[in-house]
Amino acid sequence: MGFMKRGGSHEGLLHPHMFLKVILPLGIIIGWEIIAILLNNEFILPKLESVFAVLLSPTADILGYGNLISNAFTSLERVIFGFLIAAGLAIPLGISMARSAYMHDFFDSTMQLLRPIPPLAWVPLALAWFKIGLASMVFIIALGAFFPILLNTLDGVKSVKRNWIESAEILGANHRQVMLKVVLPGAAPTIWTGLRVGFGIAWMCVVAAEMMPGTNSGLGYLIMSSYNWGQVQVIIAGMIVIGLIGIGFDYLFKVIDRRSFSWRVLER
Amino acid sequence: MTLAIEHLSKQFVKNGEEPVESLVDISIEVNDEEFICILGPSGCGKTTLLRIIAGLDHPTSGSVRIDGLVIDRPNRKLGMIFQDYSLYPWRTVVENIAFGLELQDVPKEQRSATIGKYLEMTGLSEFGNSYPYELSGGMRQRVAVVRALAIDPTVLLMDEPFGALDAQTRNKLQHDLLDIWGKTRKTILFVTHSVDEAVFLADRIVVLTPRPGRICEIIPIDQSRPRDRTGVEFAKVRRYVLDMINQPKWTIQ
Amino acid sequence: MKTIRVMVIALVAVAIVLLTAGCTQPAVKSGNASVNILYSKGVGPLPMLLATNQIDGYIAWQPFVAVAAESRIGKVLTYSGDLPPTGMWKDHPCCALFVRDDFMAKNPDIVNAISALTIASTDYMNAHQSESGELVADWIAGKGNLTYGNVTVSSIAVVHSALPTVKYTTDPSPSWINGTTKFVSTQIDLGYITANIKNATPEQRAAMIFNFGPYQAARKMVDDKKVVTPAKLNKQFAIGYLNGDMHSASLIVAVKKYQYFNDTYGVALVPRDPTQSKPEICDLVVNGQKVAEVKLIGGDAGPQVTQLAATDTVQMGYIGTPPELAAIDKGIPIKILHPLNTEGSGVVVAAGAPVSDWPSFIAWAQQRSAEGKPLTMANPGKGSIQDVMLKFALKESGITIKEPS
Repeated sequence: MGFMKRGGSHEGLLHPHMFLKVILPLGIIIGWEIIAILLNNEFILPKLESVFAVLLSPTADILGYGNLISNAFTSLERVIFGFLIAAGLAIPLGISMARSAYMHDFFDSTMQLLRPIPPLAWVPLALAWFKIGLASMVFIIALGAFFPILLNTLDGVKSVKRNWIESAEILGANHRQVMLKVVLPGAAPTIWTGLRVGFGIAWMCVVAAEMMPGTNSGLGYLIMSSYNWGQVQVIIAGMIVIGLIGIGFDYLFKVIDRRSFSWRVLER
Repeated sequence: MTLAIEHLSKQFVKNGEEPVESLVDISIEVNDEEFICILGPSGCGKTTLLRIIAGLDHPTSGSVRIDGLVIDRPNRKLGMIFQDYSLYPWRTVVENIAFGLELQDVPKEQRSATIGKYLEMTGLSEFGNSYPYELSGGMRQRVAVVRALAIDPTVLLMDEPFGALDAQTRNKLQHDLLDIWGKTRKTILFVTHSVDEAVFLADRIVVLTPRPGRICEIIPIDQSRPRDRTGVEFAKVRRYVLDMINQPKWTIQ
Repeated sequence: MKTIRVMVIALVAVAIVLLTAGCTQPAVKSGNASVNILYSKGVGPLPMLLATNQIDGYIAWQPFVAVAAESRIGKVLTYSGDLPPTGMWKDHPCCALFVRDDFMAKNPDIVNAISALTIASTDYMNAHQSESGELVADWIAGKGNLTYGNVTVSSIAVVHSALPTVKYTTDPSPSWINGTTKFVSTQIDLGYITANIKNATPEQRAAMIFNFGPYQAARKMVDDKKVVTPAKLNKQFAIGYLNGDMHSASLIVAVKKYQYFNDTYGVALVPRDPTQSKPEICDLVVNGQKVAEVKLIGGDAGPQVTQLAATDTVQMGYIGTPPELAAIDKGIPIKILHPLNTEGSGVVVAAGAPVSDWPSFIAWAQQRSAEGKPLTMANPGKGSIQDVMLKFALKESGITIKEPS
């Protein structure tokens, strides 16, 4: 669809838009180094070299806590696991709540009550119920992802036009076909946004989840353990890795959104 | 094929309020290959009537029968085109048209043949892979019609399909519709509030009163098509219908 | 453009707020000299808090005393055994092995075996200090280097320097029991023990707190080099210990030198993956038979581990005595079996502090209090041994403790 106009996709490094995008990060990096040198206190702000030293050896073991790459993968595994569980629960629930007033009334008040509680607050309960290990971590992560996915699914399904569904019924669709060929594709862009937001939140919950006792791997664990030894440069390196992975996945979600759901934006 | 609407009435009941009568005692016998226009002011229940005939709503009393079979749910024999076309924006033109055929597991080659035929019939052959948002209103309308036709319904129900279009496009589409009707020999029930449109298109015009909708009169039109909008005969019928609609005793509720 | 101007002003405002955030003064209090107490979550933040001048000193378990000294962040004021009142804390109890009552009742032979392994391991450590230091450094820090600004210290060096200050012993001698009793009084004083133990007579207390049966059995088994093979346990059980803590060294050395203990005593905790620097899953092997699967769980502080014991997530633990006493007081069903070490903690003050010993420290505290800027001393957590000892020492020296508000 070549005629689609999107702002911001300008070519050329010297284009004014490119310049604007880059100037703040560059400024932060330069400012950081200057402040770090002036402060001369690695606990408050390690110098860039210290942080880069950690980042540039991603396979080097850090104080017996594993290396950056293996810990990153472990955290990712957990987040993806928790995220999939959340999606697996939230999407069907959202669809049924949107389509049935009974289901909606049945679940709504409970969902509203649970939603504002931050995942971190669940940690003691998670430990008590699921004991130490993967289950309690996945629980926290899944909690984080659940509500954005649920709400967006609800919203997306509600936004499916009644006429679309009725057209399908008139063309002879049974209930299953309506679900698969009209409701899901119609709600898909909104659900996708919910998945994108949900994944982002799940990824943020990683550090909280990996703070729980008995964890012995993952980026959150690495950060907290380095905290134990005051190795702030490792903490910052870990934060950067977390940020980069978060950006990477968000970008992936956005790319797929653009390719599959552009019709939504341009709908009359 | 006979489509019989017998003593159909519809009441809407909202919780704790007085029931509202929408349609009262509607009886129409539609003959095979007829073009019927249902004409009436806004709020007279003509859309409700069409939806009940389509099986999307239930009458409070009375019935709709096609070839003796009672219609109480959507039926493939009765295709419907909504006012806003309701094309699926995530499907291309071809995929939209294919929708009904997919539902019946029609094999791909057969589907392509049918779709190709209808695209040609409506002059949309070059736009097969376009998405609805790339098309003009008139083109989308044609796709909606063809999507309904693809599964070969006996009756086409159309709910003010040209309402959102400008006069020129509308006139053209009216011509095109008559063209398609001639080629496919379907029975058409066409809802409109435009007297001109009804007189131009219909074999018979069913005139409904304002709410609650009752049949005021069913007016047959014997003129051959294409009808001359500026002709004397045309004007005569138009005058007759307009007078009926403008009777002072009709008050819009 | 207007937007840029607004953004710049906002950024500057945020920067100003951040930079001045640390400059607020606490209210001036006249009268008794006071010291602010800050509870940390474990020992980790303590060196950093000291180096960034957010605290004036801290008390922690080894090796975090040595860490401060080796990296020049701070200097050692006193080791815990020398805290006032003089002589009171000599050979003071520190960490001890506990077990849940129900686990003990159902698996007495397993408990004895673990106890025996601990005793054997402690004997080994006392005979092989240098090697033990390396093993401990591997466990708690992967033998890595610790970088504090311009100073890099090797964790091995830190552990070696800390080792002599920790006295590893498993003997529940009368003086040790006495020392534990002193802790009970101190904790009652401080309001940490308020229920079951407080309301019991001294005789009842002993029965509530201790169970020396396993020690006696285990000591004999170690001396005879013959360990009774326990019945097989089909469920995994867990042992809690403290992260970054040298006091649980007997557990560390036992796991690291599993082959030696297996061959010499017939009891060993064999790690599933010996290449890990701190293995998580081990098998308890006695006389060649795999008796149980054991999970080793590191906690940040004693109270956290006793919380895990309360939910039956761990069944045994290598932690400090005060948290164990507080847990028993609250009704958590555990008993103390025998000590793991005595002493082994220390007080660190800022490198530039005008102090050289405890009296000069108190003088400094009084002076700062008079100036309206009382000292802030941190400890690894409320109810920990370090918390108890520091507060007691300060009170003995006439200092008022100011809890965080």
